[in-house]
Amino acid sequence: MSMLSTFTPSFALLRSRWLGCPLALMLTSTWALAQDKRWGPGEPASDYGYRFGELFWLITTLVSVAFALVVVLLIVPMLRDRARPGHRASFDHGKSLHDKRLTAVISIITFIVLDAWVLVIAMKDLREAYWAIPAAKDPQTYKVEVLAQQWAWSFRAAGVDGEFGTPDDILTTNELVVPKDRPVSFNLTSKDVIHSLFLPEMRMKKDLNPGAINLAWFKPVVEGEFSILCAELCGFAHYQMFGKLRVLEQGQFNEWEAEASQLASTAFDADDTEGHWAWDWQE
Amino acid sequence: MRGISWQGLAVAFGALGLLTSLQTSEDENPHARAPRDVSLVVTEGAWLRAPGADWFAQRAKAEPGRFTHDATAAGGAGGWVDSHGEYSLSEIEGEWAYWQWASAERLTDGRQDFVQFCSSCHGLNGDGYGRSGQHLRPTPRSFQQNKFKFTKVTADLPSDEALLSVIKRGLAGTPMLPWDLSDVQLLDIIQYIKSLSPEESGWRDVYSQVGDAIEVTEDPWTDTKERAIVRGREIYHGAASCHLCHPGYVTNEELRVIRKDPEGTTYRENLTYPALKDSEYEVLGRATKVMPPDFTWHQMRAGTTTADLFQTIASGIKGTAMPQWKGAISDEDLWALAHYVENLIVSYKDQPAARSAFMGGLRVSGDNK
Repeated sequence: MSMLSTFTPSFALLRSRWLGCPLALMLTSTWALAQDKRWGPGEPASDYGYRFGELFWLITTLVSVAFALVVVLLIVPMLRDRARPGHRASFDHGKSLHDKRLTAVISIITFIVLDAWVLVIAMKDLREAYWAIPAAKDPQTYKVEVLAQQWAWSFRAAGVDGEFGTPDDILTTNELVVPKDRPVSFNLTSKDVIHSLFLPEMRMKKDLNPGAINLAWFKPVVEGEFSILCAELCGFAHYQMFGKLRVLEQGQFNEWEAEASQLASTAFDADDTEGHWAWDWQE
Repeated sequence: MRGISWQGLAVAFGALGLLTSLQTSEDENPHARAPRDVSLVVTEGAWLRAPGADWFAQRAKAEPGRFTHDATAAGGAGGWVDSHGEYSLSEIEGEWAYWQWASAERLTDGRQDFVQFCSSCHGLNGDGYGRSGQHLRPTPRSFQQNKFKFTKVTADLPSDEALLSVIKRGLAGTPMLPWDLSDVQLLDIIQYIKSLSPEESGWRDVYSQVGDAIEVTEDPWTDTKERAIVRGREIYHGAASCHLCHPGYVTNEELRVIRKDPEGTTYRENLTYPALKDSEYEVLGRATKVMPPDFTWHQMRAGTTTADLFQTIASGIKGTAMPQWKGAISDEDLWALAHYVENLIVSYKDQPAARSAFMGGLRVSGDNK
């Protein structure tokens, strides 16, 4: 009891002009971290990547405004109705019909502004970008079969002939080379547990489930080296399950593909059927 | 409904279920998981082959007081005696050899970590065919075959330290990670891996030789790197004939000059590409093939510094066509080869423009593709 009796609620902190400090610190550090490449998402390198940024900042803004509003609505009555010389503390359970109506109206407006708005934009993005898998028949589409396992990525591209399961299939481990400005389409599955292919700079993430083939795609618009990460806790070495995504300019890519295909045909062992794992392309 | 006996119906359903389960158990699926009710407890310890006298002399320096040299041991030949009792010198079939005792408790610790970290690829019984290791090329090592590619030892089998460094470093470009477990855990796993040797083979064979990673001698070319590269190129395409499996990085004409062959000599087709080679690494009883790397394209598994390359070339790669070069050519030439290969990697790997200019030049000017 003595512990409790020593604690008397004091509103000195609320009156203090230092109150703004922790709030300002929180907001500025969030903003600063988002600017740093190591902590924030950096600039998108895919054509639909900007949608991610727009949605991210819309949600951040809406939530910040809502947060500020709630803080004000909490602090103002706490100060206004507190006990002080010449004023008795007053409180209200909000049981009146008027209060109930007000609560209902605020809830509905909050839902429409926050949830429905974000939902509508998110669905629009999904429909127009993330779910708009490019047609496999289109020769522009670069197709890649991904077989994940504990703890590595195996990538298979069709090679120069465009057919999967042929000697010139380009096989790489933990490294994927793709052409710039062409849609890259994935068929994703896993050997053992659920993994998730995460290309942070491309704003693409998709689970790989054993026994199912999942689809995903992106279109790189920036040349260079990017990260491939696993975004699904998949066992002890999950944190080491990463690779390198290289985006090459079209001419260089064609040369790379021809050479990789030729080397793959050289390495192909027709009798080694256990080592062949391609599947028919799924749309 | 009176005619139906509900108990009878239940029995019928049970029988049906039993029949179905019998049918599926007969179905032989090569991809089926190993039995799940594996015991994590190892009940028997094992005597495993240890490296020879040189290794013990080294240990004696590193751990003063632990090992003493006994001139009367090994039937008068002399040998090191371990005061902890972990190592022993004993005679089997007339052969004196050092052995290391792996206790059942230690093997149990090793097995528990092995099952958690290694078995997904290397298999619950260490046969190299775990669920995640299937369809992988190169194949995960089978610990029943006792052949290790990149341990950089010249003996049949690697010492604990040699295995430890491979596991900690990983094999670049394969799913074998650089494992950051503690040394204690890794050494327990290594003892367990060694104990998987079948009877009278590998670490359970008195005739096996166990060795440390090859010593990195002093590089004689430190100040004359340019000359080392020229010399390395000559050895690569000449005395060592690396171009028989790896790509030749010269035109047919240049190769003829280096090898001092008569005018009009022809060489293997696709000289500027590697040639697929047989290996001793088996999957489901069938030997797989391996691809010798093109240094301007493929990732080196065991390091790209000249010292790494020196060790790898010197020790050769067990179970493949890559022989042990230590002793076959002088250390000076080995170093020259290492410099030449390092230069190929540094100049062309992952540099599409430079590489295609270089390789394209070779392919256009010669009659090789």
